[in-house]
Amino acid sequence: MSIEFKKNRAIFRDEVSVEEAEGLLEWLQNRPSAKADLSALSHLHTANLQVLMIAKTIISSWPKDAELRAWVEPLLKSGE
Amino acid sequence: MNSLPTNPLLEQFLSESRDLLESTGKKLMQLEEVPNDQDILNELFRCVHTLKGNSGLFTFPEMTRVLHAGEDLLGMVRSGNLTYSRELADRLLDAMDFVGVLCSEIETTEKIDASRASESQQMTEALRMLMPSLTSSDDAPMAAGPNGRVANDPIRTVDDPGSGPPSLRSIPDAVRIAALEQCRQGDQLYWIAYRPQRECFFHGDDPLNSARQTPGLMWGRVLAPEPLPSLTEFDTYSCLIGFDLLADAPREELDQHYRYLPDQVEITTVRPMWLVSGQGVEDGPSKASSAANRTRSLSDADEDAFNKILAAQRQILLLEDRPAWHAGRLKSVADVLTNLSQAVGETSTRTDILAAFEDASATDHNTLLLAWLDGHKNMQSNAGLQRLAGANDEIAIAYAEAAADTGSSLEIDAGKVAADDGLKFCRRAEDTGNVPRSLKVDQAKIDRLMNLIGELLVEKNALPYLAQRAEVQFGNRELSREIRGQYSVINRIADEMQDAIMQVRMMAVSFVFQRFPRLVRDISRKLGKEVQLVLEGEQTEADKNIIESLADPLIHIVRNSLDHGLEMPEVRRARGKPETGRLTIRAAQQADRVVIEIIDDGNGIDPAIIKRKAYEKGLIDEATLERIGDQEAVNLIFAAGLSTAEVVSDLSGRGVGMDVVRSAVEKINGTVEIESEVGKGTSIRISLPLSMAVTQVMVIEFDGQLFGVPMDNVVETVRVPRSEIRAIKQSLTAVLRGRIVPLKALNTLLGIPSIPTPNANDELAILLVQTGSEVFGLMVDGFKETIGLIQKPLGGFLSGLSAYSGSALMGDGSVLMILNIREIA
Repeated sequence: MSIEFKKNRAIFRDEVSVEEAEGLLEWLQNRPSAKADLSALSHLHTANLQVLMIAKTIISSWPKDAELRAWVEPLLKSGE
Repeated sequence: MNSLPTNPLLEQFLSESRDLLESTGKKLMQLEEVPNDQDILNELFRCVHTLKGNSGLFTFPEMTRVLHAGEDLLGMVRSGNLTYSRELADRLLDAMDFVGVLCSEIETTEKIDASRASESQQMTEALRMLMPSLTSSDDAPMAAGPNGRVANDPIRTVDDPGSGPPSLRSIPDAVRIAALEQCRQGDQLYWIAYRPQRECFFHGDDPLNSARQTPGLMWGRVLAPEPLPSLTEFDTYSCLIGFDLLADAPREELDQHYRYLPDQVEITTVRPMWLVSGQGVEDGPSKASSAANRTRSLSDADEDAFNKILAAQRQILLLEDRPAWHAGRLKSVADVLTNLSQAVGETSTRTDILAAFEDASATDHNTLLLAWLDGHKNMQSNAGLQRLAGANDEIAIAYAEAAADTGSSLEIDAGKVAADDGLKFCRRAEDTGNVPRSLKVDQAKIDRLMNLIGELLVEKNALPYLAQRAEVQFGNRELSREIRGQYSVINRIADEMQDAIMQVRMMAVSFVFQRFPRLVRDISRKLGKEVQLVLEGEQTEADKNIIESLADPLIHIVRNSLDHGLEMPEVRRARGKPETGRLTIRAAQQADRVVIEIIDDGNGIDPAIIKRKAYEKGLIDEATLERIGDQEAVNLIFAAGLSTAEVVSDLSGRGVGMDVVRSAVEKINGTVEIESEVGKGTSIRISLPLSMAVTQVMVIEFDGQLFGVPMDNVVETVRVPRSEIRAIKQSLTAVLRGRIVPLKALNTLLGIPSIPTPNANDELAILLVQTGSEVFGLMVDGFKETIGLIQKPLGGFLSGLSAYSGSALMGDGSVLMILNIREIA
């Protein structure tokens, strides 16, 4: 698992594959106020990105990978 | 031609593809004359179907895509959903030419250049455009692809870059200025609109990853649909977002990167002008323009570019011909002029041009446009450029470059209009001039050679007689010996010649078999099945004709076995079978026949389902449905138009297949049998003659004459004492190996006034023959050797004699009549 689910926080690490999207969606559906920590993320599959977008998840920390951050920040900012 | 494919499979694919392309082209032309000929249509469809299937063996997505579209199109014509038209034929011929070009490319480079992807895409779209709306048609599931998707794609409608220059407004200024700088230095930039398919995750795509990996990526953004679906109704596995990307990599690299997704990607060359300030001048001051206030006089180059463009437009308008794309040409001129005047800041002239253009399209006269052009020539190059001179450095250069760019791309635009019209004039397959290495010889020529060699074999046997005459009649022993010496030399050479001509025609079945490992692997991967392929007897040889005509049927059978026969691993486990299915293809020579068996240990064929399907498709009536037994029902899968697959895939289920198999096998005097047990597996047995040229016959003697009996019919030869032959009523019988066998005397069958003569031990020679399942004894005088000979059909007056299947020349020049056992029995 490259997503670690804490009580109200999902920590994304390395590469998150398409298989994780379903679980992530389910987890977020039950926790509308959950936050996501992307700092250690290097790539996430499009499906996961969509889940975060649609769930309007608040991002507690942005990816350290500047390039990835540039991609996802405009999309996920709204959650803040 | 510089190099040849080293892979024999590829080589074969190419040569087969050429044949198929040729016959496709021929059939398309034939259809133009008789548009409703279902047979030709079926064959055409099969050709394209096979081509597509074959191309799927290799990674040539460009080729497969076009062929798939062609196949779908033909499928619709075949099912009557679309009428055959000249336009349709044109497009299909173009598509086939394109495939031919790809073949040549593969032949020389062993791959397809990535730049072909967009051409292939255009070609595919051109084909698909001919299809009526396909949303409800299940005949062509792929067809709902690019076009069907656009309609319900929220992103696409938000910002469609397909119709004109894409909006670069969204690019941040810093990036834009850097890009503009790069353009000025002569770099080519590309704007990529990537709109992934909804279901792309299932194809293993990760659009974000593809976008991030885009070569030379300078900038990119994600397009989200508006409004976002709610969390509850959102499907995790449908891709909703799209991408806009700006990249400075060479076009080939981009094409290569997106070669599997050309229908989802639109790559546009960025013109420097677009970068000046997003979409247009009216877009408010950008950093670049507000920073500038210095005036500058026009360079000669700028003015030169303007005049050149105007001259080009003029020339186009003066063209006399009126091709189908004339309207597009006019529009292109109008667009160029509009852009030009916009570029020099004369936005007000837009309406004038538009009016002139409309007039030109309506009246088919270009006078107004020309007049406008002439009238504005001076104004534009002077006043317009003066105004331009007021702009800052960067913009001026960008404009001029943009203008030059527009001018130089004019030809390409015109070419594109032509291409949209469906005409690929400069790309005939014949133009490429590649000569295949293998020498293709007409079958008739080989046959003639073989006949001549046959005659030589017969003729040389006259020499020993001549030698004998020389010795006995003329008493010249010396000459006789010399003739014999010569004879032995000629004999050896003639034998070798015969051997050689046979070898020309003999081929090992491995020629057909070698494609199966890959085929099976790919198909089973695609279907998610585990299959172990066992090939046996690959060295079995047979005549070229036989082997070649075996290829298609075998592929169909193997595909069917994989698709319908073998079950998914879970199902197999549940049924207590090993997870890995086993597909055996076995070739063996049995007497003078080649027997090929395709055995799978899969599902088997359920006669009940076949019966129902056949009834639904109207292949059998209700009475037959009630009457036929299970084996007969299983045999129904050989009926034309029966497909048991629920879904049409690129593997099977289009209703071509088993009927093709049977007709192909029967054409070469073969038989095909099927045995199937529900749940256990299916075995298909194809039996073919070894060679169509040489028949093995046994020579028998009767009443001093020689007759030949084909070895197919011969069971055994026996000698039976006359005392053991009994008469039951009118018939003679004998007990042979514990079985009562009816005996027939050849004299009664042929009406020869003579009876079989027993030998010294009072035994009669009996040749046990069979036709079908019937076995009987033929009473003859004696047996001679078995020989292979070239059988000639009886001609003229004799052709009415059904008792003989043909005749052949013996070594001594006598004629051997070959008995037709089936007829005389």
